[in-house]
Amino acid sequence: MTSLTLPAHVNALEDVCAFVRKGAEQAALPPGEIDKLNLVMEELFMNVARHAYAPERGDIEVAFAAEAPGKLRVEISDAGREFNPLVAGPPDFNLSLAERPLGGMGIFLVKEMTGALRYAREDGRNRLSFVFPA
Amino acid sequence: MQIQSSKLEKAVVLKVSGRMDAENAHQFQAVCEQWIGKGEKHILAELSDLQYVSSMGLSSFMSVAKALQPKSGSLILCHLHGLPRQVFELTRLIDVFPVFDTTEAAIASLP
Repeated sequence: MTSLTLPAHVNALEDVCAFVRKGAEQAALPPGEIDKLNLVMEELFMNVARHAYAPERGDIEVAFAAEAPGKLRVEISDAGREFNPLVAGPPDFNLSLAERPLGGMGIFLVKEMTGALRYAREDGRNRLSFVFPA
Repeated sequence: MQIQSSKLEKAVVLKVSGRMDAENAHQFQAVCEQWIGKGEKHILAELSDLQYVSSMGLSSFMSVAKALQPKSGSLILCHLHGLPRQVFELTRLIDVFPVFDTTEAAIASLP
């Protein structure tokens, strides 16, 4: 896999997305899918940036491999506190606007847009992997 | 992301272009809050040139709508298309915002 380590901070978001776009090119993803992949990466990256190390800072490692034409495997890992974002349920769609919380939509979108989405805690690291597109 | 404001008689139109993400979504919210502070009740977001919105953008849209609702106001979305539309549809937020295909129809809907 091709990998990159960056600070888990919003300032690195653009670099992370640019890096994964290289993977999208290698896997020959259709141009229309690139923004969706960008969205998935933003949601997962920001999740680590907000939850893994706060209030301290730390790094995030992003790696990709073209699995097959049109399929990209991505892995994201950090050495922050144990946190599995996938345990959250979907938003409650029956709530009115006033009742609906502002959060919880990012991981839901990731679940909708990816395949083989997995979380593991290994060797003191949070590891998330997925295949894109689903 | 660029935001251009135009004040109409019944609403303010914000033309939002480009990409709304975790780095800049707060700017949309800040512009809306300025108009709400000036007494605007209805904000019409013209989104024909919005290419991308992440969950942080969705949260900004929701925050503004929640701030307007108790004032009998609204955040109206126009020309929602492409990935932004898909994201509003997946999260079912498309059902809780007024959404119009044209700004003319949106303006005509205002009290």
